[in-house]
Amino acid sequence: MNRFMRWLGIAVVVFIAAPLVIVVPMSFSEARSLQFPPPGYWLGYYRAYFTDVSWLVPTWNSILIASATTVLTMALVVPATFALVRHRFRGKSIADLMMLMPLAVPHIVMAVGYYSYFGDLGIVHTHLGVILAHTCLSVPIAFLVLSANLKGFDRTLERAAQSLGASPTRTFIHVTLPILRPGLVISALFAFIQSFDETVVAIFISGRGAETLPRKMFDSIRQEADPVIAVISTLLFAAVLIGLTAPLLLSRWRGRRARIGTG
Amino acid sequence: MSTYLQLSGISKIYGQFTALEAVDLDIKKGEFVTFLGPSGSGKTTTLMIIAGFETASSGAVNVAGKSLFGLAPHERNIGIVFQNYGLFPHKTAAQNVYFPLQMRGWDKAKGLKRAEEMLDLVGLKGFGHRHPKELSGGQQQRVALARALVFEPSLLLLDEPLGALDKNLREQMQIEIKRIQRALGVTTIFVTHDQTEAMSMSDRIVVFEKGRVQQVATPLELYHKPETRFVAGFIGESNLIEATITDAAAGEAGNTALGTVEYARTDKVASGAAVTLMIRPEHIKLSRNPVDGRKNVRMKVETIVNYGDNALVIGKVGEQPMRVRVLGADVVIIREGEECCISWTRDSVYVIAN
Repeated sequence: MNRFMRWLGIAVVVFIAAPLVIVVPMSFSEARSLQFPPPGYWLGYYRAYFTDVSWLVPTWNSILIASATTVLTMALVVPATFALVRHRFRGKSIADLMMLMPLAVPHIVMAVGYYSYFGDLGIVHTHLGVILAHTCLSVPIAFLVLSANLKGFDRTLERAAQSLGASPTRTFIHVTLPILRPGLVISALFAFIQSFDETVVAIFISGRGAETLPRKMFDSIRQEADPVIAVISTLLFAAVLIGLTAPLLLSRWRGRRARIGTG
Repeated sequence: MSTYLQLSGISKIYGQFTALEAVDLDIKKGEFVTFLGPSGSGKTTTLMIIAGFETASSGAVNVAGKSLFGLAPHERNIGIVFQNYGLFPHKTAAQNVYFPLQMRGWDKAKGLKRAEEMLDLVGLKGFGHRHPKELSGGQQQRVALARALVFEPSLLLLDEPLGALDKNLREQMQIEIKRIQRALGVTTIFVTHDQTEAMSMSDRIVVFEKGRVQQVATPLELYHKPETRFVAGFIGESNLIEATITDAAAGEAGNTALGTVEYARTDKVASGAAVTLMIRPEHIKLSRNPVDGRKNVRMKVETIVNYGDNALVIGKVGEQPMRVRVLGADVVIIREGEECCISWTRDSVYVIAN
């Protein structure tokens, strides 16, 4: 039984990790299209990615759109979360529901809606259109993360700050915000990733004018299965790995430095 | 000395529910006053009204003759230690203590130096660089105390600060808090539901029940001369016996489960008044045979709880339950289920008017 469970565990891990691991060797492949195992290795497709404007422009679009989406999402979500978590008012439950609606509605339905509505407004195929659509999709995710953090926030700390002479504004700046910072960072990160990764809505409304990276990858794999896709996948995979481990290493390094500094 | 903190006619009403009813209180400068009462008695509500986190429905709070109402919490200059300490987790101990000075525009180097001095005073020299989560409960408590005192507040409020500590640490902190309070001479209000804590620390105790102040007195006065039945039952252990005064001039009460009882003479009750007689368990003597010169009754012993140095003997005289506290060595004369003699002098019988 124990042995069976162990093998099952290994099988599950392999099954989950395999697609990730396969793209890495394929990105160094000499083959003319996606092929596994690769017939030989070189760095040609990396050079192709970093020199080809038809790949660099969508990359830049995606970064721009995801960044703007993150800023806009946080500007909406931070005040909304404080209002919804800390205050009671008429229509609160409806407001709660509306915040989370985009999670429940299929993206394809949203995409069709945006296509016709943004068409009327004349912002289909523009950066602005994609940013607005992505913000709608990011808001519920950012809200869920931040509200969980805010619910766990001990309000005694704010009272303590006020009793010590901090006005409500200074309490927010010196106590509430720094303590919520990890939650805010994770919330913003989720907003960024959801926009960077989003494909369905992007296919419908990004067009030539604001083509995003996932959309370009989708088009490419349909037409020619260009191994550059494997390059991009590998680079994204590496970026995520760095993004996940860097804060951990940084805090360890800081902790060690603090101990040396005071010891 | 004159009044420093004055509460007059403080009431707090939530819809139909009256949480506080016309609380009046005068506290002198440098006094250590404890608000004692069960949960929901209004003691914390009163504290929060003084701090400015609750607003009173009516009444006034004055410090040194000036009203606190109309001032926001951050403008009141009151130090508070909260039940769970309320230390800022993202700041070190020294930064926590420096915070109130920072808010008052102190120079950083000077402020941090002052914070270290304060940590020194509460016995945490060299702990300034640690974050709250790297400190024990008792150490966190000390940081919170240092932080609440570093800006020389006009009042120090302590909201059940020892509740989360274990027994030994609690006793140690009681002594520490008293020492620091005396050293700085700061006027202090301490909120607790623990009567031994109140007895051991306070100059005066304010007993709250159901939103009313029952009695304001020194710990010993409260123990020996409770003014209400609630205070008599809440402070220490007591035998409370319903009675009617039969002869006020002679000091005799009848109609009790113990027969006629003579009480310590008082002119606060008249013949015919319904009263409660209080006899503290340690004032009752347990013996095999009646003792001359004392009031003797026979008690059937039901339970003996032995604490080693002393024992609590619980029994009944007729239908009246009685508790007797005896020295541990004396308890060997009696067993559960037996009858014995209990006796007391008239001076140990204290009359509470109903």
